[in-house]
Amino acid sequence: MQKIKNPIALTLIYLVVITYALFSVAPVVWTTLQSLKTPRQAYSPTPLFIFDATFDNYRELWLNSVPKNPWLVGIILAGIIIGLVVIGFNANRIPGQNYIIYGGILVVSFLIMWMIPKFVNTAEFYKYFLNSVIVTLGTVAISLSIGCLAGYALARYSGIAGVLILVAALGFRALPSLALVLPYYWLGQVTGLYDTLALLIITLVAVNQPFTIWMLRSFFMNIPREIEDAAMVDGCNRVSAFFKVIIPIMWPGIVSTGLFSLLLAYSDFLLAKILTRSNWTLTVAISQFTGGEDPGQLTLAAAAAVSATIPIVIMILFFQKQLIKGLTSGAVKG
Amino acid sequence: MKAKDFYKFVAPSLIAMGTLLVFPLVMATWLGLNFMTYRNINNPVFVGLANYIEVLTDQRFWQAFRFTVLFIAITVPATIVIGFLLALFLDQISGHVRGVFITLYLLPMVIVPVVGTMMFRLLFVPSGIAAWLYQEILKQPFFFNEVSVKILIFLNAIWTTTPFPFIVMYAGLQTLPQEQIEAALMDGANRRQQVRYIVIPHLSSLLVFVGLILIMDAYRVFDSIFVLTQQNPIYKAASVMSYIFRIAMAVQQLGLANAMAILTVIMIMIVLIPLLVYTYHEQIEER
Repeated sequence: MQKIKNPIALTLIYLVVITYALFSVAPVVWTTLQSLKTPRQAYSPTPLFIFDATFDNYRELWLNSVPKNPWLVGIILAGIIIGLVVIGFNANRIPGQNYIIYGGILVVSFLIMWMIPKFVNTAEFYKYFLNSVIVTLGTVAISLSIGCLAGYALARYSGIAGVLILVAALGFRALPSLALVLPYYWLGQVTGLYDTLALLIITLVAVNQPFTIWMLRSFFMNIPREIEDAAMVDGCNRVSAFFKVIIPIMWPGIVSTGLFSLLLAYSDFLLAKILTRSNWTLTVAISQFTGGEDPGQLTLAAAAAVSATIPIVIMILFFQKQLIKGLTSGAVKG
Repeated sequence: MKAKDFYKFVAPSLIAMGTLLVFPLVMATWLGLNFMTYRNINNPVFVGLANYIEVLTDQRFWQAFRFTVLFIAITVPATIVIGFLLALFLDQISGHVRGVFITLYLLPMVIVPVVGTMMFRLLFVPSGIAAWLYQEILKQPFFFNEVSVKILIFLNAIWTTTPFPFIVMYAGLQTLPQEQIEAALMDGANRRQQVRYIVIPHLSSLLVFVGLILIMDAYRVFDSIFVLTQQNPIYKAASVMSYIFRIAMAVQQLGLANAMAILTVIMIMIVLIPLLVYTYHEQIEER
């Protein structure tokens, strides 16, 4: 629409837009402030905005004891992270397939996270964080692999079976997941898989599968059929055409879908709450804090909430475009 | 694509969905016909329809159902209206600051719901800044009680959900047919008429789609209620899902909880079936 020129109206619009932005970020900003205070500062009768910031809450949350030479550990870790980021950004200049390099970076980072408790005396919270990472990565990897195959087939096949699968998948996407989780609980108890991350991963894959195939399918639909037809004329069969020609073009779509799949797995609370007893993920561990009106707990809870949010904020900064594309493509049914 | 290739490609996904979506649903229906607690989890006792009848005569279940309907009736229209207005307003703002606002607006949606609700709650606990403002302005302390907890649940839902209708409609506004707007301008239509006769019809199919998704999501609200009520029945703010969770995990009546879950699945069918039928026809035409 054409722009409003009236200065009063325009001022009002800016006012509304800014007010809503404040409403949007207020909980995050306030929690971050609280997480940097001592309990005494956090309970000050008038809210404090300027104070001596302390990282004690984060230290207490993540570490049982501070390593003897924290700077050395910090510098080594920072060095490794910077190295990996530099390699990641220059992947195009390194000979070899890009996805092998990205995959390698992912594996190395995961191994480092895995090894950290061997060198640093980390607290319980780190274990839950690692559980969340394992569950999230496992879910995304499996969801995308089987989802890509199905999404591609559903985009290309015109038989009635394809339509029925899509409609059924949409139905399952919309169902209250408690109706599925209670039987999972029963299955877990009967098979002895209860309280394992494996059970959490396979159930999350299943619950997220309908959404994954819908979204991937809509991206595959945008790839012209002529591309794989040409490859098949050149001697590929359907399967090799898919891996050699289609997947390399599909990367943006796969990244977009992976992002949503990652958010869903990382955010899951209900499944982890019901299917674990002590092998918690981050969400369940954090929900334990929410009872805490007790002064010592509040700043710790705030630090936990901020810790769980930092990875998400980094991601939205890097992948905002893909996120918006996914949300507005109409493929996100739920 | 040939049928043989098709089944080869969809097999892994179909097996996963068959064993972990379809089978559990059948399982839940069957478990709902049994008396089962944590003690006899390996040998449930068959009781027929008793659980289903108990659910339908359970006052608390209907209370949770009514609250869930109220939750949908308040939050879905509110998020759509707010999202629409924000999209219209942001469209008026000059290009380069828009990106910043969009990032800020999307933040509540990508934050983990349990964590986001907890952050929201920290504003209202006695040390929170919102509680302090309330005290300063109204000269009385803020308490968590039946009314305030419900209002917080609605506000929190608006906070987390609005970004979705906002971004969908904002994207819709970018594809507005310019010729129609120009023609309307020539005819002397004012801004309100343009919104009423061009913008809203253009966005209406999106609105229906977004509305259905929001209804179905609101129907299964759980995480935020869990955090804000702490599973405490005194707030009378249990949703259907949080009530089932309580029956399953705290009261430990697994059979009853399964029956309840199946009944809620049947109830959502009222909204779901039209959507499925619509999607079916849409896909049949498209192929």
